[in-house]
Amino acid sequence: MITLESFLLVSALLFALGLAAVLTRRNAIMILIGIELMLSAANLNFVAFWRFGANPEALTGVLFVLFSIAVAAAEAAVGLALIIMIYRHYRSINPLKFNVLNG
Amino acid sequence: MNYIEFTVFLLPEIVLLVTALAVIGIDCARRGKAATGAGGTLASASLCAAGILVAALIILIMPQEGRIAGGMLVLDPLTRLFKLVLLAMTLVAVLMLMETRPVRHVGENFAVMLFAAIGMMLVVGTEELLVLFIGLELTGISLYVLVGFARSDIRSAEAALKYFLFGSVSAAFLLFGLSLIYGFSGSTELGEIGVAMQAGGMEPLLAVGLVMTLVGFGFKVAAVPFHLWAPDVYQGAPAPAAALVASASKVAGFFILAKVLLLGFAGAEGGAAWGGFQPGWVPLIGVMAALSMVVGNLAALVQNRVRRLLAYSGIGHAGFMLIALMAATPAALASVLFYVVIYGLTTLGAFGVVTVVLRAREGDRLSDFAGMSRQAPLLSFSMLIFFVSLAGLPPLAGFFGKFYLFTSAMGAQAAPGGQPGMLWLVLLALVMSAISLYYYLLVLKQIFFVEAAEGTPVIRASKTGTWTCSILAAATIVLGCYPGILLGPIRLAVGAAF
Repeated sequence: MITLESFLLVSALLFALGLAAVLTRRNAIMILIGIELMLSAANLNFVAFWRFGANPEALTGVLFVLFSIAVAAAEAAVGLALIIMIYRHYRSINPLKFNVLNG
Repeated sequence: MNYIEFTVFLLPEIVLLVTALAVIGIDCARRGKAATGAGGTLASASLCAAGILVAALIILIMPQEGRIAGGMLVLDPLTRLFKLVLLAMTLVAVLMLMETRPVRHVGENFAVMLFAAIGMMLVVGTEELLVLFIGLELTGISLYVLVGFARSDIRSAEAALKYFLFGSVSAAFLLFGLSLIYGFSGSTELGEIGVAMQAGGMEPLLAVGLVMTLVGFGFKVAAVPFHLWAPDVYQGAPAPAAALVASASKVAGFFILAKVLLLGFAGAEGGAAWGGFQPGWVPLIGVMAALSMVVGNLAALVQNRVRRLLAYSGIGHAGFMLIALMAATPAALASVLFYVVIYGLTTLGAFGVVTVVLRAREGDRLSDFAGMSRQAPLLSFSMLIFFVSLAGLPPLAGFFGKFYLFTSAMGAQAAPGGQPGMLWLVLLALVMSAISLYYYLLVLKQIFFVEAAEGTPVIRASKTGTWTCSILAAATIVLGCYPGILLGPIRLAVGAAF
């Protein structure tokens, strides 16, 4: 029997991995992947809380996950479009090189 | 719960959606012909304006009130008022978009603006986490696209990518926090979450959820330390997009933050008193407020570009508003909502003036504003009104906004069982708003007392631009002389809702 705690542990690890990718990677697409990991971690939480929650017949958690998967897909689409756009200007997708804007 | 009821509750949003799709359709039909010309811009803009006005009319005359589907859609005087405010701000942004240089596919630009408005209206009209998240994401994704719309401009692209990266990381934090709160309370409805929190006490799970949710909202309202995107986005984005980010999105952000804190986290305030620390959201908001005020106002002092200056001053204003949120009383909530509307209107106007200057002089350095009072007196006077109001001098609206904000915060300290320690934050806020006067005056000095250098292009405002800015300036003066016409309805509506 897998307990709620183990699900939460996995999701916390997933979130931390995603955040680590966001903070350390020097490539906008890898950062995007990190963000997707963080969102998946939250989705895993929702499903786990729904499954082990007081009233699993309410379907709230699953519903939330379905919607957030769709939202994450839309976000990734816009993100990739923006990355292509910035690549045309800089010929690079290293966020550290984007430094036209400053005081 | 039936579909007719759903449709009626969502009618203003549906009208906006249909309008946006129609604008895109017209844009497609005109492609091949001169889809970039001024005619296309005018047609799209008037269609958008008509859609916004119809939506506002529906909100005004709609008799339905109440909440359906467990708080997913809420319609009461407060949400109604704020949907109208958001529509008005979107309308001004649409008019500003008409004023900027036409880009390719201008219809899409207008349509995405309406999508953002739909998202913000959803956010304002809900008390349920799922709709809240979807609304925030719809707003966010639309705004990323709007910020990056000037595709040939390297600054716009950079601003859009930075906005996107910060925004989606904060969205991930928000979603993770919401999932923990759902796990703690077993519900996604704010009212039930509040009940569960009052019963449950502060568990580690809840504490993590609370902090992560606040990270997500801190980004939305550009509070320190989640503010890093703001200056770059304000500077790089096309001016109408930046104006929408600075005004309407901030209004929606503060509205929903206040609702989540006061309804959903009602049992987890905690305390920030010296020696009486209790975990909860009040100490967190207090730290964010103090940092925002100090960092925002001090960083604004050294800015040379007016849009960056507006960004940092916006961060400072967010700090002022967070103080009153800490008070967590209905009176303080009313003053926050009043303040954020005033702030949105004046910032919108200031961005309108910046749009005109950008178009004429290709830049927004302080020196680009030199000699403006000779060339565009009405616009210069409007800018004077906006900046003096933002600095908080009487008799303009910004003064009363600050006055109510600080008195309600102090009132919460005096009340039995209220939050102690507000006095220090309010004193800090007073010092910081005195400092803010200096950098607003720097811009006004350029406009009124410095002559334009030889050969700088003359600033010529179109009729639409001048009228829009003048009306916003007039609103700032009228709301300063009679703050009751806005504060009265807000207080009534807040009293009915809480």
